[in-house]
Amino acid sequence: MSSLLQMQKVTVRFGGLVAVSEVDFHVHPGELVGLIGPNGAGKTTLFNVVTGVYAPTSGSVQFANCQVGGEPPFRITARGIARTFQNIRLFASLSVLDNVVSALNLHSKNGFFGALWRGKAFRAEEEENREEARKLLEIFGLADAAHAPCRSLPYGDQRRLEIVRALATKPRLLLLDEPAAGMNPTEKIELMRLIRFIRERFGLAVLLVEHDMKVVMGICERIAVLEHGCKIAEGTPSDIRRDSRVIAAYLGGEVANA
Amino acid sequence: MKPRILLLLVVAAFASVSFCFTGHPEASWQLAQLDDYLLNILLMAGINVILAVSLNMVNGYTGQFSLGHAGFMAVGAYGSAAITQIQGKALLEALGFLGAAAPVVLFSLAMLVGGVLAALAGLAVGLPSLRLKGDYLAIVTLGFGEIIRVMLQNTEALGGARGLTGIPPRTTLGWTWAIAALSIYCVGALVRSTYGRGFLAVRDDEIAAEAMGINTTRYKVTAFVVGSFFAGLAGALYAHMICYISPEGFSFMKSVDVVVMVILGGMGSTAGVTLAAILLTFLNEVLRQMQEYRMVAFSLLLIVLMIARPQGLIGDLARFLPGRTRLKP
Repeated sequence: MSSLLQMQKVTVRFGGLVAVSEVDFHVHPGELVGLIGPNGAGKTTLFNVVTGVYAPTSGSVQFANCQVGGEPPFRITARGIARTFQNIRLFASLSVLDNVVSALNLHSKNGFFGALWRGKAFRAEEEENREEARKLLEIFGLADAAHAPCRSLPYGDQRRLEIVRALATKPRLLLLDEPAAGMNPTEKIELMRLIRFIRERFGLAVLLVEHDMKVVMGICERIAVLEHGCKIAEGTPSDIRRDSRVIAAYLGGEVANA
Repeated sequence: MKPRILLLLVVAAFASVSFCFTGHPEASWQLAQLDDYLLNILLMAGINVILAVSLNMVNGYTGQFSLGHAGFMAVGAYGSAAITQIQGKALLEALGFLGAAAPVVLFSLAMLVGGVLAALAGLAVGLPSLRLKGDYLAIVTLGFGEIIRVMLQNTEALGGARGLTGIPPRTTLGWTWAIAALSIYCVGALVRSTYGRGFLAVRDDEIAAEAMGINTTRYKVTAFVVGSFFAGLAGALYAHMICYISPEGFSFMKSVDVVVMVILGGMGSTAGVTLAAILLTFLNEVLRQMQEYRMVAFSLLLIVLMIARPQGLIGDLARFLPGRTRLKP
């Protein structure tokens, strides 16, 4: 099976610091993959390479058989990779609905002149976009708040809205950056169900960067572990749980200190 | 939607009334004569509305702090004057077949040239500098404004430091307020669309906007070009209103004046900045008797307003009018 995302020997260097070192990693279509590791292991850096925030110093990043390493973020999103943020980054002055509409921009045909002329095609597409945004919000139970300012939503709903916004770009790969951060246990269970649901409903692959072991172990089919910028293990949750290097990396042990 | 329609109606009413009753003293079709002083204030108010609304596109909706609006205005003023004054005679002869309409046609052409030149200047400044953020962008745009001014001062063909005299009086209330209405419509229409949500997204969170597939550089440059285009039109109207332009008229202080209008009116509220531009133009005249205290009064007003209404005169108000949100039953 060919991979959706294929990273080969990806290295990212900031001056003298090697944040990610020769990491090989892949995601198959429709797969649910977790990326874990202790603080400072390079998870977020790797995440930022995939989304185009950083260009890899060396190595290749391929998405759907196209070289994407080093492309600007907006182009990578256009190729079908969408993301959420660790600290919520909604468009604060926009309403809930408009947050989603702004992400529909990517696939809209009407641009600058369409907006000025406001012809038939433009109005039809505007209506379509609003309808589509409303439908997405409905799926995630946010339709009632569509016209409220997005800041007025409770924390968990803001996180969900961020996912809805990412889905509006019609991705094939969804990257979630610590979606469980700041959630209580009930919300975490709800989140796990939500992630599974998204994968089924939208038929996309999900890559999860997460600290919370319960969440990662609970939903991921495959997990990769980073430490000091190197991939030290990869496998199913039960493999990872037994892996001595992973245990050492997290709990501190002779292997890690050697 | 509602505040914009209301605003357009007010501006249209203003424009049509002024079309019927006044014109520039030399325009032949006026029905009644306003006294020159009041006429000039009304013209200046319209020009300030154009300036404020167009700067609001950049500073308010797209969140890029530009301090060079007077520079773009200067490009428009000198560009249009080059058509009607420097090359005026030759071009009027060429347009002779149009008869009495020739001066008006030439003026519209001159305005278009002024606007397009200013837009090109906006593109030239925007492309390299919009990678900068906040204070840095403000300093670059400020520098641009000063460069334009100094360049004009040293270009003898455009009158140098003495300025350019003998520009034909062509600006009428109708022209001014029609273009003001056009700028309000364009900015409003751009922002109120799926495409236009991109400007607001860039302002709210550039990183997130980029991650949602929005080409942030392109949006910023677009806002800049639209803003400078209308600043150029305002410059053209200004030049053909006072008939004499000099580089000193487009100094840094002029840019600051426009920024104050935008801040007073409320960043990102077209209705607000329109109101602020009109109010400040009149306030300027009211305070003319105490010339030396004018700036003190302006600063005081700004301080008081920032404390009492940090969101500007209208600011967020428009967003919470009935029909737009369902916050209140």
